[in-house]
Amino acid sequence: MLCALPALPAFAQSEGLYGPVAENAVRGGRLNMGLLVEPPGLDPFHQAADARIRITVLVYQGLFYESPSGEAVPLLAESYEVSDDNLVYTIKLRQGVKFHNGAEMTAEDVAYSYNYIRNPENGSPGAGDFSMISDIKAVDPTTVEITLSEPNASLPMTLGNKYGAVVPAGYFDDEAAKNLMNSESVGTGPFKLVEFVPNSHIVLDRNEDYWEEGAPYLDGIDFAILPNSASMLVALRNQRVDLVALTRPQDVQQVQQVEGLEIERWPSLGQASVDLGSETKPLDDVRVRQAISLAVDKEEVMKASIGDFGQVLGTIPAGLQERWGLPLDQVPMQGPDIEAAKKLLEEAGLGNGFTLTLTTINGYDWMDPAAVTLREQLAKIGVTVDIQRVDLGVWINNFRSSQMGFTFNDWASQPDPNLLFYRHFHKKPEGADFRNWNNDEASALLDEGRATSNPEERREIYNKFQTILAETVPTIMLFSPDHITVRSQRVQNYVQHPTGWYYGLARAYLSD
Amino acid sequence: MGKYLVKRLAASLLTAFLASMLVFLLVRLVPGDVVAQMMGQAGGETAANALREFFGLDQPIYMQYLAWLMKVLQGDLGVSWTRGMPVTTMIGQAFLVTLEIGLLTLLVATIIGVPLGILAGIYEGRPLDTAIQSFNILGLAAPVFWVGLMLLVAVSSLFSWSPPLRYVPPTRSLGDNLAILALPILSLGLLQVAAYSQFVRQNVVSALHQEYVRTAIAKGVPVRIIFFKHILRNVLIPIITFMGLILIQILGGVVIIESLFALPGLGRLLLTAIETRDYPVLQGALLIVVVAAMVVNLLVDLAYRLIDPRVRVS
Amino acid sequence: MAQYQNVATPENGSRKEPHLQPLLLRMARREPGLLLGLVLLVFIFLVALFPGLFTQASPYAVDVNAAMMPPSAGHWFGTDDTGRDLFARVVYGTRITLAICGGSLLISAFFGGLLGLVSGFLGGWVDQALGRLVDVLLSFPPIILGVIITGVLGPATVNLILALSIVYVPVFFRIARAGTLSEKDKTYVEAARSIGISEPTILRRHVTRNVMPLILTQYMILFPLILQIQAALGFLGLGVQPPTPDWGAILEQGKDYILYAPWMSLFPGLAVLLAALSLMLVGRALQRRIDQR
Repeated sequence: MLCALPALPAFAQSEGLYGPVAENAVRGGRLNMGLLVEPPGLDPFHQAADARIRITVLVYQGLFYESPSGEAVPLLAESYEVSDDNLVYTIKLRQGVKFHNGAEMTAEDVAYSYNYIRNPENGSPGAGDFSMISDIKAVDPTTVEITLSEPNASLPMTLGNKYGAVVPAGYFDDEAAKNLMNSESVGTGPFKLVEFVPNSHIVLDRNEDYWEEGAPYLDGIDFAILPNSASMLVALRNQRVDLVALTRPQDVQQVQQVEGLEIERWPSLGQASVDLGSETKPLDDVRVRQAISLAVDKEEVMKASIGDFGQVLGTIPAGLQERWGLPLDQVPMQGPDIEAAKKLLEEAGLGNGFTLTLTTINGYDWMDPAAVTLREQLAKIGVTVDIQRVDLGVWINNFRSSQMGFTFNDWASQPDPNLLFYRHFHKKPEGADFRNWNNDEASALLDEGRATSNPEERREIYNKFQTILAETVPTIMLFSPDHITVRSQRVQNYVQHPTGWYYGLARAYLSD
Repeated sequence: MGKYLVKRLAASLLTAFLASMLVFLLVRLVPGDVVAQMMGQAGGETAANALREFFGLDQPIYMQYLAWLMKVLQGDLGVSWTRGMPVTTMIGQAFLVTLEIGLLTLLVATIIGVPLGILAGIYEGRPLDTAIQSFNILGLAAPVFWVGLMLLVAVSSLFSWSPPLRYVPPTRSLGDNLAILALPILSLGLLQVAAYSQFVRQNVVSALHQEYVRTAIAKGVPVRIIFFKHILRNVLIPIITFMGLILIQILGGVVIIESLFALPGLGRLLLTAIETRDYPVLQGALLIVVVAAMVVNLLVDLAYRLIDPRVRVS
Repeated sequence: MAQYQNVATPENGSRKEPHLQPLLLRMARREPGLLLGLVLLVFIFLVALFPGLFTQASPYAVDVNAAMMPPSAGHWFGTDDTGRDLFARVVYGTRITLAICGGSLLISAFFGGLLGLVSGFLGGWVDQALGRLVDVLLSFPPIILGVIITGVLGPATVNLILALSIVYVPVFFRIARAGTLSEKDKTYVEAARSIGISEPTILRRHVTRNVMPLILTQYMILFPLILQIQAALGFLGLGVQPPTPDWGAILEQGKDYILYAPWMSLFPGLAVLLAALSLMLVGRALQRRIDQR
């Protein structure tokens, strides 16, 4: 017997998608949005960068939409059923969906797209997320069946919009297609790509054949790429742009006094953290890691980095705290407690202190002030911190080869604890265990959490996991910087999604 | 002349070839390639290797270089690894922007710098000369990007104005185009005006000190005639040489000005290519910069020879 | 020779003059630029050598609650985004900035000069090969060369010094080579050769000494330029590691706060300007004397 998960009624669905449906939206007009970070490409299959996802969610769609509260809401899917053993998902597809090239979307396309991405030979960074899938096949033109090798409660969320998308079957048969997605638009999303001129701008136009009735409201979006916030703020002040999502919340101060600009703060799923790789001496000693955790004053680091525009974290990003987080007053090893930290260092035989190199990444603005502040904090327990700034490419190489040492990190995931924790913290080979944490108990909990679909039980399991995480300190989650949007008053109904992706543009409109 | 030209060209080509090799090696010595960046924190090894194979990064470096060189010789600079566009198209677009900035800056520098220099030279030692020279040295000492930054703030706070965001080619709208380029050209121009006028002043002064000019002045030849016949002629050749130097300097200065003012020129293309480790774009853009600098040098050289037949082929 | 040395370090001249006052007066009248440059330069060197004399504040002390304060009696240049005193940072940055630029330039003067000497003296295929190499380096505009090297190697003080050192090697090479070529056929070299002094000795004793002043002058002329390149690289985020208070690095931190805290960009920029100005004034005076000879 199949246990059926009822699809949400159509009305509620469209309300949940992308953001609130506007009551009396004005149709038409083009919105100017400023981009502080240029996407390194617009290919949802081969590009992991967040700057890419922010934009491609408007052009490409997956089967589900990751709602801000952490639900997987059917998007190109209409409904789905799960078999009793939780291994087979039968997904009914939405009908009447057209690709930007005019072709009708069918189950063949869906099966092709997800089969392409899950094959690591095709070079997608998202392949790992799909490794629990053993088979995807089109049952009939509107039904897809996905079989898992083991139960996984976050499958629908995995079929969201981060990696991959539904594209016409056979799209990648042409080798050159790997390079074409910056100039071609083959998605099903509310907007289609018209032009991407590197270092200059990206133009999206409304998809006239879009399947949602009446959406989107805008005729198009012109993204202007301005890589430094000084120019961006000047442009905002002089109304050259209508909307910007700031990458540095503290920049708000520079436009706060400007008339006609609306500033809004939104919770985020991102986290600024310090990672402690156990391959680096003396971080292999848990007492040393605990001492560092106790010495850190997260509040002060946050204040130095982004001012008051964020939330201090326990063991999970702010956007996930309410639903999945260990209550903040129950998180162990939280500082600052210099005495306790010193005691731990003495027990570890390092009472006289030692020197650590802290890695920061070039281009991540918050890391410099945070590094300077952390340096002062750790000096109090006798730890001398040298700061080393490296390029992103170099950093990623170290990270991926689990040679990260003591480093700042800046990352985010979809709103699901399994997608957040598993790959980062499960021991090898199932997970990547970037920090060489190698914790059996925590890995067992991650396996259990992934296979459990009851939300209450799941929460219980992840709370246990977070307690271990805080006690043994492979990472110290510092704060989630709020998403800050600045918009001119004519921009209406824009809601910033906690992932930082620009879903809200599918619901935004311009008042006259 | 023809023989000289061939020799010069051959030497330039060899240098360009060696420069390309240097660049090719340099960029590949660094950890963290484009695939690492595409993979981010998520990707697995199999996927990464598949992409490396796709880009040819699994080949030995000399093979990669040969393959690249072969294509370059056929006029194909390859396809950008992050943008999927032909590198020639990207460079073509970017080069036009940079060229426009360069030529306009040169124009401004010449129009303002040359008269200033001549004035200062003629009034050597007088207050006007001192004033112009003080301006020159300030212009030379001020960092270009800092001037740009200060201009941006000053203009924005005084007039609540800032340049339009998206670069518009002059063919589409000359007004918008100039509005976008005004501040960058001003900030680059300050330095070049200073350099130009300083240079011209020196040449005017040294011309004025020439024996025959002194004699002419002593003999009471009208100032106008002395100026046009002796001084201007003496100053013209160095001015042309200097133009080349300035163009090359602008080519360098443009890197930082383009990134400050978000102009989609060659400099910014280069910087983003370094950041994203987009080797085909990086190699192509550098090759163009090197070749452009060489062409400018060559043109200066030729102009020099045409104007002054005394300079004989060595 | 002796006169050359006077030219290279004009301050030395003052020691030989019996009266300092008349000398300064004469200089103020004849070369006010040089005087201004020297005064500024001495001041800058004092700041570099004894930063503690000029400020009590620490360039590293973070005070989150005093972030981005405008200039005031307590903080002459205001504070930066982590509440550090900018005056202290600019003052302490003087030594670091000058050391990086001066040091890099010294390295390029040494290697460029040495290679130029050898190349000019030996001639033949060595000269050809080195000349070609230098042509390759010269074919990149200086700042682009700096951007590639630091961009590729990654931002670090060592890489910055390496990049800055390479940028001007070709200039020193050419100067030294040309100087050597013109010296090597002079009578005294011929004479030395004829009395059996070995080539390396000739190179070391005679040619080097006569090429030295040229290199020194070039050093002074390039110093302000390298200062600007260094600031530009710092501004692009390719400079020294935080929290080192190098001027370019301070400018880079300030650029994002330009509307809210323009003093974060204004003062370090002025520092670069003043240092470059003083070096230029002195360098030009030097150049003039060399030219006059």
